Amino acid sequence: MKIRSDIVAVYREVHSWAGILAGLFLFIAFYAGAISMFEQPIQAWLTPPAGLPAPVPLDRTPELMEKTFAAFPEARAHYTVVLAPDATQAGRLIWPKGGGGHGHGPAVSVAAALAPDGGVVTMTQAPSEAAHFIDELHQKIGLPLPHDVAMPIMGVVALVYAVALVSGVIAFLPALTRTLFAVRLEGGKARAWLDLHNLFGFFSLPFHIVMAVTSVVFAFHEQIFAVQGHLFHQDRVQHVARMARGPEAGTPHAVAPLAPVELVAALARQAPGFVPDTLDYAMRPMGPGSRKLTLRVAGHDARFGLRGPVSGFAGLDPYTGRVISADYLPGRQSNGFATVTAFFSLHFGSYGGAPVRFGYLVLGFGGAFLFYTGNRLWIMARRRSERRTGIVTDTRGTWILSRLTLGCTTGCMIGVAVVLAVAALSSGALSYAVLSWVYYAVFLACVLGAFCLTARLGAPVLLLGTAAANLVLAMVAMGHAAHGLDISGGVALTALLVAGCVAVPGVRGMTGGRTAHAAD
Amino acid sequence: MRRARLDNRQWVAKLAAGIVPGCALALGVMAVVGGLCHTTGSPMTLSAQLLLWLAGLLWAVILSACFLFRSGSRAWGVLGGGAVAFWLLFALLKSVFP
Repeated sequence: MKIRSDIVAVYREVHSWAGILAGLFLFIAFYAGAISMFEQPIQAWLTPPAGLPAPVPLDRTPELMEKTFAAFPEARAHYTVVLAPDATQAGRLIWPKGGGGHGHGPAVSVAAALAPDGGVVTMTQAPSEAAHFIDELHQKIGLPLPHDVAMPIMGVVALVYAVALVSGVIAFLPALTRTLFAVRLEGGKARAWLDLHNLFGFFSLPFHIVMAVTSVVFAFHEQIFAVQGHLFHQDRVQHVARMARGPEAGTPHAVAPLAPVELVAALARQAPGFVPDTLDYAMRPMGPGSRKLTLRVAGHDARFGLRGPVSGFAGLDPYTGRVISADYLPGRQSNGFATVTAFFSLHFGSYGGAPVRFGYLVLGFGGAFLFYTGNRLWIMARRRSERRTGIVTDTRGTWILSRLTLGCTTGCMIGVAVVLAVAALSSGALSYAVLSWVYYAVFLACVLGAFCLTARLGAPVLLLGTAAANLVLAMVAMGHAAHGLDISGGVALTALLVAGCVAVPGVRGMTGGRTAHAAD
Repeated sequence: MRRARLDNRQWVAKLAAGIVPGCALALGVMAVVGGLCHTTGSPMTLSAQLLLWLAGLLWAVILSACFLFRSGSRAWGVLGGGAVAFWLLFALLKSVFP
């Protein structure tokens, strides 16, 4: 591959500046994103058991619904029938507390069950926010800002990330054939870091391209759709008009909606292989088509990519069980919608089931490491050129960046470990605000520590601190095994691996520092 | 004729061209393609979603490529000219197929 040398030089410079601008944000986004691959299992694991009677069998759901709606008429407006209740959705029938769910994160909900004597038992349930907090940390690239403020900033970082990817490939291509598999550990520290950076970058390139493009679109979709709304004729949309008329307006339908058992059977006939998880019912409160029930089924199918992080969706007519919208129903989508869904599922890792999720966990941690190596290379290159000009100590810019790199990466890793450990240790479900305070206090302490400790002491102390936090998390996780041994083991094993990876350079820095002192 | 060597001396102007007229160009292409395929622009439709991805991808590509222009003014000229051309085309389409 021959690229003009001046173009390579231009893009090498672009790559180093784009990388340094986005690197630390991306480290946090990838570290938290890797963990959020298992958001739902972790959330169920951290949510205290509700203590409701066992859910009624699915065929007795109509009885539960009838009795519940008699006692709580407000639940009719928006309710969910859960086909496989777990810790997060404890009852067969749940509805958001206080009416409307806001759509972001686990809402406080009321779960209903039948006592042995046939009476309705309800319980208000607040699922653990810890897993959702880590997901938000991922989406907001670690910024403590409201979602709608953080999203455009995330979009800018994603664009910079895209530029860094393109420029990195152009800068790296000429040397590709010569150095791809050569990790020259003996040729000096900088050389080893560079080879690792290139190796990780090259072999996860498709993953990174997908992440960059999808993140740009996720960040700016509202604005771009707003532009489209101004340009085109929104009012001619067929199904907006259809929605306004109601699902089956004009045609008389049976008085009562079908029972959940019948709906599940009808769906299984129309979309075999699709495993429904929840039936979400909503009643439009006012306007045309009001008092008509709409039904959206969320479910999964390991054979196809899913539109959401864990679910694909089907719109059903609740009175006949007929699928009226298959746009997001895995396996029943048109080619165009399946193409768009492919982008979403490639970002979420929501295809192929558990093996892909584990793969994404590794790729996410690998991505975080890639950005760390990038920052290390930048610092080393600047030091080298500064030493060449005769400056003995770091210039202010180099010093700030090296301290920020250390503080932000260890702060993120310790903060996430502490959030998970605190959530597992607390008896009740902790609120988002509390977890947010815990995380940002730890994060800030690490950044301050990186700036205040001496250069020789800072790295070993913070790295060993990260290892210690993850060891504690591993122990706490095993202590939480009563809530699910598999997820406890998974969290503990991951924490141990992270602890091991940061402990090695930490110990080396500590002993290296001591021998250096002894030499003095 | 020997081509001048590329460098990053005018990176501010080139990058600004990628951001401002580059964005206008990406949205202009989206508008023309959307006009040609008679999209309604409703986020629930397939055409609107595909146009969204088109615009996002195009902007990322423009931002990556803007450093290849010989100078900042050339970048502004090409990207700005392209944006004006596409938006004029869109206005024409609107007037022909209201």
